Amino acid sequence: MATKYVLIGNSAAALAAVDGIRKHDPAGEITLINREEGPAYSRVALPYYVAGEMTLEALLIRQKTDYTTMGVSLTETSNVTAIDPANKQVELESGQRVAYDKLLIGTGSETLVPPIRGLDQVPHHYLWTLDDAIGMKQAAEKASTAVVIGGGFIGMLAAEALRKLRIKLTIVEVAPILLPQLLDEGAGKLFLQAVRDDGVTVKTDSMVAGLEQTDAGITVSLKGGEALSVDMAVVATGVKPNIECLQNCAVEVNTGVLVDEYLQSSQPDIYAAGDVAETPDFLSDERSIYAIWPTAVEQGRVAGANMAGAQQAYPGSLGMNVVELFQVTLAQLGRFREGPEDEVKLLSPGTNGLYRKVVVDKEGSIVGAVYLGDENGVAEMGVIHGAIRRREKWQGFQNGRQPKFVYADVSHRVPQY
Amino acid sequence: MKQIVVHQEKCTACRECELACSFSHEGKFLPALSRIRVADFYEEQFYQPMVCVHCADAPCATVCPTMAIQRQPDGQVRVLADRCIGCKMCLLACPFGVMGFSPDTGVAHNCDLCDDNTPQCVEFCTPGALEYADVVSVEALAKQKAAAALGLPPAHGQSE
Repeated sequence: MATKYVLIGNSAAALAAVDGIRKHDPAGEITLINREEGPAYSRVALPYYVAGEMTLEALLIRQKTDYTTMGVSLTETSNVTAIDPANKQVELESGQRVAYDKLLIGTGSETLVPPIRGLDQVPHHYLWTLDDAIGMKQAAEKASTAVVIGGGFIGMLAAEALRKLRIKLTIVEVAPILLPQLLDEGAGKLFLQAVRDDGVTVKTDSMVAGLEQTDAGITVSLKGGEALSVDMAVVATGVKPNIECLQNCAVEVNTGVLVDEYLQSSQPDIYAAGDVAETPDFLSDERSIYAIWPTAVEQGRVAGANMAGAQQAYPGSLGMNVVELFQVTLAQLGRFREGPEDEVKLLSPGTNGLYRKVVVDKEGSIVGAVYLGDENGVAEMGVIHGAIRRREKWQGFQNGRQPKFVYADVSHRVPQY
Repeated sequence: MKQIVVHQEKCTACRECELACSFSHEGKFLPALSRIRVADFYEEQFYQPMVCVHCADAPCATVCPTMAIQRQPDGQVRVLADRCIGCKMCLLACPFGVMGFSPDTGVAHNCDLCDDNTPQCVEFCTPGALEYADVVSVEALAKQKAAAALGLPPAHGQSE
């Protein structure tokens, strides 16, 4: 009998899991259950839609026919409310129960709602789902000023989109720099300056205490007493794993669903991948969640393969991010903020708009890097990425005619067509 | 699949390939926009042309959030310009550092083998360091050379 695969989710992790399953099991029955409507779209592309650079159609990364081709049935606008590992069933909001042989939790993450006074009384926008993006775009068409609460990755992407629409911005960030998950202090200072030079008001070391709807718009009160008036409020204070359906369920959960190196949860036949999964890490013994597209795809593939009977070990997640904001390109790899035992190789100190830093651990291995500069410099970060993944030592990397080592790899990696 | 094969020992870092590539793709003699790059180690007189090898398991395609990098039926890994949003995740993922980005179009690029015509970098490579050839046979040849260098007889059934 064909194996019944049930995948909760319809984004990077679940879609990659379909590929992973199909590599090992062309015949199994695959059902995707997703709470949103329609075929999969790219979350990463949403800010480009808000900025008016992409159509809704272009956001789609699957067409309805793709699901048929892959032999996948998609259940849309369905929330899984409970998982019953004992009977191997999931329960939908409608009360319907769906049986599975193998289950993937790929529910991703959802936006954190910050404790801001008056937030629920005032119209505000997140930038996480397609509906969020549509709402933000509509509001932006009528706005000429906006506050962005949170200067992290999503907040800055929202800010960049609104900037392209010529909206005057104020960004409020609790940390002393913008993008604290992506930049160290050195690059952070340079980036902060670039954003301010662009005419954006940035309040660092600052928090929003309350929001209030007035006739003139929205009044934003900062902790410390300062207040400003804007047309539109964007909230981007982070995301958290979407583990709602795991309440009262035997699957072990910390921040996300805890999984082993085969991406299996504490329950047999239940796997997790993507933003919802707390997985082994490439650089540490702690389990981690990076909530980024590449790790979701890598995990989805491995989880899918293992659901279909393979025994693939996941090598561990490595944080990586790149983004172009305010005409500056920023990139980060691995452990980019040095610990007390790490050594820093500052390749470019930040003069002339170029900042390159590599972090080397006490064994001499390359473990992280930060980059600020132009677009094409990111290619070099790619080479460093490869070196981190190969656990290469800085000494050898620096002195060893690095591309020659890369070239030696080529003979193993050429495709056989 | 035919692709660009590098004979590193013949490269003199003349960079004709970079100029030919950037001119044929971008209409400019601008090495920064070339899809092939010569890594140079002048003190050691070691020059290594680097160009996309169309990896079997291509990291650039894995990380692309818009399905803009796709394997073509002929084996080529190709950037579909109309799907690319210019996020540069592929540049960060490529361990060879051979994904590039064109600021004019806002789109990532890799070696496209000049649309199956004769690759211009190969055409203009005076010292003969670049060859447009079937990589499988080149790899087999390299193994034979290595075996010969170790004094091993050629494997049964293999010939030059």
